[in-house]
Amino acid sequence: MNESAERLLKAWRTPKGWRYWSAVNNSKIGLWYTITAFGFLLFGGLLALVMRIQLAFPENDFLTADQYNQVFTMHGSVMMFLFAVPILEAISILLLPEMMGARDLPFPRLSAYGFWAFLIGGVFVCGSLFFGAGPRGGWFMYPPMTTQYQTGVGADIWLLGLSFIEIASIAAAVELIVGVLKCRPPGMRLNLIPLYAWYILVVAVMILFAFPPLIAGDLLMELERALDWPFFDASRGGDPMLWQHLFWIFGHPEVYIVFLPSIALVAMIVPTFARTPMVGYGWIVLAAVGTGFLSFGLWVHHMFTTGLPGITIGIFSAASQAVAIPTGIQIFCFIATLLVGRVTRSVCLLFVLAGLATFIIGGLTGVMVAIAPFDYQAHDTYFIVGHLHYVLVGGTIFPIVAGFYYFYPLITGKQLSERLGTIAFWLMMIGFNVSFFPMHITGMIGMPRRVYTYPAGMGFDNLNLISSVGAFVLAGGFVVFLWDLLRPKGGQPTAPRNVWNAGTLEWLAEVPDQPWGVRSIPIVESRYPLWDQENFVRDVDEGNFYLPDAEEGLRETLVTSTVEATPIQCLRVPGPTFLPMWAAAFTGGVFIFGTFHWYIMAGVSGVLAFFTILAWLWTGTAIIPEKTEKNVGLGLTLPTYVSGPAAVGWWAMFITMLGDMTAFMSLVFGYFFYWTVHEDFPPKDVEGPGVLWPLVSVFCALAAWGLMLLSRKLNSRKNGSLFYVSTLTSVLMTFAAAGALIAGPWLHNMDPTEHVYQASVCVLVLWTVIHLALGAVMQLYAVARRAAGKMTHRFNADIVNVTLYWHFMMLTAGITGLTIALFPLVS
Amino acid sequence: MNISASQSALDFAGKGAERIAELFYWMTGGAIVIWIVVIGLAVYAVMSRRAHPVRMTHWLVIGGGAVIPTITLTALLSYGLAMLPELQEPAPKGSTTIEVAGVRWWWRVNYLDPSGGRIVTANEIYLPVDQPVEFKLTSEDVIHSFWIPSLGGKIDMVPGRTNRLKLHPTREGVFHGVCAEFCGEAHAQMRFRVVVTDQNAFDEWLETQSQASKSSSEMAEGEAMFLSRGCSACHTIRGTSADGMVGPDLTHFGSRLSIAAGVLDNTPQNLARWLVDTHGVKPGVEMPAFESLSGEEVDTLVRYLGALQ
Amino acid sequence: MKIKLWWLTFSPLCWAGHFLASYLTTAIYCAKFASPEGDALPVRIAVAVFTIVALSLITFFGVRSLRLHRRGDATLPHDDDTVDDEQRFLGFAALLLAILSGIATLYTALVFVLMETCH
Repeated sequence: MNESAERLLKAWRTPKGWRYWSAVNNSKIGLWYTITAFGFLLFGGLLALVMRIQLAFPENDFLTADQYNQVFTMHGSVMMFLFAVPILEAISILLLPEMMGARDLPFPRLSAYGFWAFLIGGVFVCGSLFFGAGPRGGWFMYPPMTTQYQTGVGADIWLLGLSFIEIASIAAAVELIVGVLKCRPPGMRLNLIPLYAWYILVVAVMILFAFPPLIAGDLLMELERALDWPFFDASRGGDPMLWQHLFWIFGHPEVYIVFLPSIALVAMIVPTFARTPMVGYGWIVLAAVGTGFLSFGLWVHHMFTTGLPGITIGIFSAASQAVAIPTGIQIFCFIATLLVGRVTRSVCLLFVLAGLATFIIGGLTGVMVAIAPFDYQAHDTYFIVGHLHYVLVGGTIFPIVAGFYYFYPLITGKQLSERLGTIAFWLMMIGFNVSFFPMHITGMIGMPRRVYTYPAGMGFDNLNLISSVGAFVLAGGFVVFLWDLLRPKGGQPTAPRNVWNAGTLEWLAEVPDQPWGVRSIPIVESRYPLWDQENFVRDVDEGNFYLPDAEEGLRETLVTSTVEATPIQCLRVPGPTFLPMWAAAFTGGVFIFGTFHWYIMAGVSGVLAFFTILAWLWTGTAIIPEKTEKNVGLGLTLPTYVSGPAAVGWWAMFITMLGDMTAFMSLVFGYFFYWTVHEDFPPKDVEGPGVLWPLVSVFCALAAWGLMLLSRKLNSRKNGSLFYVSTLTSVLMTFAAAGALIAGPWLHNMDPTEHVYQASVCVLVLWTVIHLALGAVMQLYAVARRAAGKMTHRFNADIVNVTLYWHFMMLTAGITGLTIALFPLVS
Repeated sequence: MNISASQSALDFAGKGAERIAELFYWMTGGAIVIWIVVIGLAVYAVMSRRAHPVRMTHWLVIGGGAVIPTITLTALLSYGLAMLPELQEPAPKGSTTIEVAGVRWWWRVNYLDPSGGRIVTANEIYLPVDQPVEFKLTSEDVIHSFWIPSLGGKIDMVPGRTNRLKLHPTREGVFHGVCAEFCGEAHAQMRFRVVVTDQNAFDEWLETQSQASKSSSEMAEGEAMFLSRGCSACHTIRGTSADGMVGPDLTHFGSRLSIAAGVLDNTPQNLARWLVDTHGVKPGVEMPAFESLSGEEVDTLVRYLGALQ
Repeated sequence: MKIKLWWLTFSPLCWAGHFLASYLTTAIYCAKFASPEGDALPVRIAVAVFTIVALSLITFFGVRSLRLHRRGDATLPHDDDTVDDEQRFLGFAALLLAILSGIATLYTALVFVLMETCH
């Protein structure tokens, strides 16, 4: 190993001993994340077995009704929130940088934060089951059952624990979007990026727009549970249907959010074993992007039986049919690729086939239930249980198992056993079908879902027994698979490098793998550079490409332009630290203590979280470099500090705020939703917030925003005094805006517990005031950064990003003020 | 358990269920064909040792992946949408109209009298054959869903809203209805019976239901016990002073087929079990168990309730 | 002019706009303004207008994308590391998305052809 390689290794070395857990590098975080999510899969699977024992016989008393309701609620919630979404983020954090020849994702500490939040939240939610305190409202948590009829902490655990995890998911989505758009290797234009990256880009964007409505819904429900704001209480003007809309605007894209990444794995595996590039690359991109859009037009098909107008049902039925088109196209692209190439058989491919065969059944039954009249019968029966498991096991779990067989050698250096794999394949395939296929029939002959038992002699008995037997065979397959993963492999020879002879960049990884990711960041000219580019591996290994060295001992990776992938920055990424772990623990504390109404502890935890995050930002972001430019190799010199749209931090802020606006718009949607369901909204005899104070608030926010624009400009002066004046005045205007906004409802004695009108005004005010407070913190942060010399007239990323936040802040404050002030005048 | 009664959507006895079952068989047939073709192709692609020309596969993607599915889906969608208006349309004016409210975990049933009155019963619905019937569905607490698989599709009962559903039975018989939306602890045991009869039998039944219960001297002891044990706080028996509204109306309890919202067949043994082991039969139910009743007292009550014809 | 990544989203956004407009118009009309007979004629007329607008826009984006995909004499799979192929690829993908968006828009419109009331 030469000197430059040693320096590089030193910069990227994983910490040892107990400090190991301070690692933030994607290869470590991704691994922990994957293992944790897989652990939750096993837990969810055990819950499924418990349910199948209970349902094996009619009128069985293995579980009580209450226990069963907790178990099925947790099974659904664990599988969706703690396995399906996190595993895709885990695998992407682990592999995406490798597929793009990047050293790390742009925000390693954010990944670490997401992981710790996921672990803490997940254990908290699952743990509740062992104290008999688990949520028991189903994974869909329909009010008013969950707001007025379940008084235990179960529902709060679900709401707060999973909101916490949803926030972590959004953090990962921000990371992955910026990763795909800005951290590709030079030359990897949009027409050359690995299909996996396309899918992940689409999925991450979907998360960004799908999760916030649920977070907004969670907020409304928790406000009703904790403070009695009657959003879903029909007797005080609320409407339980609003929750269903918000839940399914999240819930349907969610299905594609968990399906597309697994199909993305298939899109990596199929060309490798067909020994030929993917046929129809453009078609697959169409399918990914098209599905991403259409999946947001399907949510009402979960609500076909709620009594909506036929036309509404028709619209969503139509979109549900349309989404089948891109899905079919992908499958035919895979088949076409297999036809073109000479196929090498392997267990990976067996699981891919299993996935296809299973998923297509789920897709076809999906098309059936998308036809509304049929759904009137099938909805909420075992037919749907069968359908959704064919979709999720076929579309998610089998491809992920294939992915495990495929990538295991890349991560561990050892291959899994083809023999054990074949056994696992047959057990899973047979067990799965024996278990779930009969459910279609069970449903059609009238067995509803979510029943803890069923009467004997109705024709359900044998079918349920068969399903239960199948479930145990399926579990047997998982045991074999698990044994294959865990069995000691010391005696086994290490796998050769690029064991499957694949063509994409992740297979540059050496065996055993080095923590630096790639020895040097290559120039890419093909979709399958390992197949097409001559001497490619040798050039990478000899450090003939970019960043083969770490002269300053810092972790560095390249940032490239979005479309053409021309290098634009040498990005320094932070190294190991415990800060994200503490930040996650303290934010977790806010949610966990909040669940039990221990508000003082929650407050303390919140303050600690606030300062930890502040410390993390202060020490780890927008660091002024020791030199403004750096030679990254091959005669290329790149800046080490950029701000504005060229910077990854700017993108992260922009993307986060898109998600934030989505949550806000969901709340605004709620306000107008109540208008549509009520004859008179606002109610005639109720006083609103008035016109004056909300408009004063909008005016003050406008002033604060204008001053922030000015501050950004003034910051470029060497003398900072005018910058301080402008920013601090803006802080005052921010406080004035918040005060005026509160004054409206306050002075008119609006009591949010009285009627949903007051509650929906107050929740908009609450949301906006919290954001104004955050805006003020950012303004003061910028002042402090400048005062401390961490931000200067040249190095201005902080103020640029804070101003970006303020663009969105202005929108939020404007929409809130104008809605609550003016809408009552026109409605 | 009444085994002869059907809960199957495929054992149809109503217009809606029949059309939907037909749709189901057609779609299933189509799905099987599509599955066999696609999977056959995939298996062939893996097994085949030959490399096929790229050009041909382009046509496969365009034809098999895009064009054929689009045509199939368009046809299916048009067919499905064309079915909707009739299913959604309310029953003609003057049809029998029944209000059903979901209550955890039973059903309050009111037949609307043409004169504007309500005929109250619970957990059992009689319908005349070959007549469209209009249901007005509400909930008194959480979301429930009203479903009689053999007659037609389901509709949710949402607090604060009134949903409607039209059913049109075409065959006489006894059918099971269930709550299809998870509604809490005893969701699995929120069931009811539906009896479809000819018009005469239906009219007769409705006439009986509109009357107060007949009382006789043998029933006096039972009635007194019913009142003194506090049953009347929750249950109404028209013709007595029992006028509680929290639980099901029991005026004609003896004529019903089931106990505890379709959970047990209405036999004296089952009724005795229900009175004493209430929560064993139906966990979570609001009705308290009357464990303190002696065997004799139970018998008296059972006889009394059975006599409420 | 070079097109960017955003180009891909334009046709699907037209579908989304059409979809939302149709849905919201229906939901608000049927909830607040429909007669007891539930005649939905005003909504159907509105959706006809939305459909014409949406399909015109989608056609525009589709034709522009087709030209992009066909420029020069290169054929699929557009996998060279050149500006031209990158642009052709974006054109091709955007063309397919335009077709898909057009079909999905027509599907939505079909509902208003086949259904006449708010029931």
